Amino acid sequence: MTAPSTGPATGPVIDELDLARMRSDRHAKVVGALQANGASCAVLLGQSNVAYALGAFTQAADHARAAHLRMVAVVPADGSTPHLFTAFPEGAPAELPPEHVHPQLAVEWPEGCRALLDLLPAGPIVLDEYTMPLYELLRGREVVGATTLLGPLKVVKTPDEQECIRRAQSINEQAMLDVEKLVAPGVFSKELSGCFLRRIFELGASSNTVGPIFQAMPARMADGPFSLTGDVVFPTPTVDHHFADGEVIWVDTGLNYHGYQSDFGRTWRVGGAPTARQRDQFRRWREVIDRVLEVVKPGATAADLTRAAGEPGGRRPWLPHLYLAHGTGTDSAEAPFVGTDLGPEFDESFVLAPGMVLVLEPVIWDDGEAGYRAEEILAVTETGYRMLSDHHYEPYG
Amino acid sequence: MADGLDRCLAEMERGGVDVLLLGRESNARFVSDATRLWLAGTRAFAPTCVVVRETAAVHLLSVTDAGLPRKFPTDRLYPLTWNPMNAVESVANIDGVRSARRIGVDGMTPMFADLLVAALPNVELVDGEALMRSARRVKSERDLVGIRSAIDVAQRAFGAAVGALEPGIRERELVGVFEEEMARLGTSTPAFEGTFCVVDDEGWVRRIASDRVVERGDLVAMHGGVLFDGWEGSFARTWPCGPVTDAHRARWSRWQPRWQVLLDRCRAGARVADVRSGADGVAVYGLGLGYEGLAADAVLEPGMVIALELAADGMLGADTLLISDHAARSLTTYAFPAFAA
Repeated sequence: MTAPSTGPATGPVIDELDLARMRSDRHAKVVGALQANGASCAVLLGQSNVAYALGAFTQAADHARAAHLRMVAVVPADGSTPHLFTAFPEGAPAELPPEHVHPQLAVEWPEGCRALLDLLPAGPIVLDEYTMPLYELLRGREVVGATTLLGPLKVVKTPDEQECIRRAQSINEQAMLDVEKLVAPGVFSKELSGCFLRRIFELGASSNTVGPIFQAMPARMADGPFSLTGDVVFPTPTVDHHFADGEVIWVDTGLNYHGYQSDFGRTWRVGGAPTARQRDQFRRWREVIDRVLEVVKPGATAADLTRAAGEPGGRRPWLPHLYLAHGTGTDSAEAPFVGTDLGPEFDESFVLAPGMVLVLEPVIWDDGEAGYRAEEILAVTETGYRMLSDHHYEPYG
Repeated sequence: MADGLDRCLAEMERGGVDVLLLGRESNARFVSDATRLWLAGTRAFAPTCVVVRETAAVHLLSVTDAGLPRKFPTDRLYPLTWNPMNAVESVANIDGVRSARRIGVDGMTPMFADLLVAALPNVELVDGEALMRSARRVKSERDLVGIRSAIDVAQRAFGAAVGALEPGIRERELVGVFEEEMARLGTSTPAFEGTFCVVDDEGWVRRIASDRVVERGDLVAMHGGVLFDGWEGSFARTWPCGPVTDAHRARWSRWQPRWQVLLDRCRAGARVADVRSGADGVAVYGLGLGYEGLAADAVLEPGMVIALELAADGMLGADTLLISDHAARSLTTYAFPAFAA
């Protein structure tokens, strides 16, 4: 059942994943960028940024709880040992000395922010986000946004990082082998969600990261919910749905493995085989993927990818509010973005390099007969690419 | 119209705030009743919900009305964008934003600070999170219905995890059992990924489940939480794998009196700092549409719903309490294990 792989190399990226090496490589990159920018330190409040710079992890939680119990990282530019403030010391990386793992700093409140500021060296600081008390207290201080500094580092992944993404994806795919067996007329999507959430923890996921999506697609856009873009609406919030015979289901799930994200997308059909037209949709989707893969290599631009995807049937084969492709790493959708409203000039200016990871998610839609959407993950290599996803296309393929 | 919006507009009036730009999902949900896709973890600030006091209108970032209350005006939706300039443009073009003098925001990034100041040069940016905390603090009857429904789901999912607590199961598998049952009961969104952690001694209590295998005689700290229609139901118990032992009873006999002292403090008029004082391992925070922060100098009022947690003596316990002038009432009613002989 696990079969036809999409392209070259779907096995492990490296023989032995070394998490300590991964953390040390990333820390060195962050320190180098801080020095190159003349900053004194980085102060990181975003959990995916703390995960990137320190390799620390926290309890996965809803947005507000995650914000109130957030880890905070201070990374000095001189390369000295960083500091982690956390309510979850079990998530600190093993090599961080205990005297650098501190109790949580409550940066939702002025007292916590003052305590943080007291610890910082003089000079410009690199910061990813403010809480409002921190915003008040940092008025007048030279603050550089972290996105421009971390973005170029995060976009190129080491082999260890790529292997984490491949393993995250592999856990997601294995869980789906059990979930997809449940799809049948009369079944509720909550049964699928339940199976998925149980299996990912059995298989070693660090956490789930998005409400699992099993969205029944209307045959015609006009039969679906209101669309602000005039195009297909996806994804909608997770709701319980009673599967009916013949329905087309678009699936999208994601999980976290040692800080890195999976992104699983497939189209399923409830009961019986797809129609000839639906199989043709899959064929056209596959052609878009193949055309894009054909041009993926170092030096290609994002615009080369959108041109390769083309406009089959007179429409760009992706959702206009999303993208043809996005990156993934410590955030499930991160740079590079390909085919977004950042615009064609942005796409022309973005050049692929070895180590970049792309999630391709083209969409084929025939109004009246729904459509096909799936996702594939690749890493750019020195000469082309390697696949990090490896899942079958039943019942289409 | 969301009754949360009324409470929000009243706070805006009181604070002289003309417009709110909200990035925190629970704040957006409070004013709109909208369900949007659930994502774990923190998000850097981006304005995904706009409240204009003058028009009493809520505007939402969404490309569809799926998940929105019936009759939500679709001309008050603005599109998802990957271009921050477009995001600021969309927001600035909303009726009442350019003419606003004071705008509350519930977070900020260095980039949005620059873009918003450039697009709205005469605006004063103020703390919208503090405003929303005030609006959300005291629960309405409708809020309590939501919280009770969520607690019902949490307690049943917790029961499934207790049922699976057999020698040989791994901690992380208990997270899966809890979430599978939660999903079957109608919600795929946890409030947090549950704590299912063996506590070896009377020291610190881990909160993140590992691959450790649970053995007979272990005490397991169990803290589960769900979001159901956005409302949080959560609580914690420490549960024995196998029969209760004398060692378990010894921990309970130290933990339980401390817990009782804390419970007795939770009544209207008490300062949060005073409830927390003198004991390590105590957490007190608001609950509603998920976690709601409570400042140390906040004073408990009738109608507030709080979480009280105590992690001490090798045990973790937590309940969701409704505050009144008398003793607080626990909305979570799951029994403790029979530690008492």
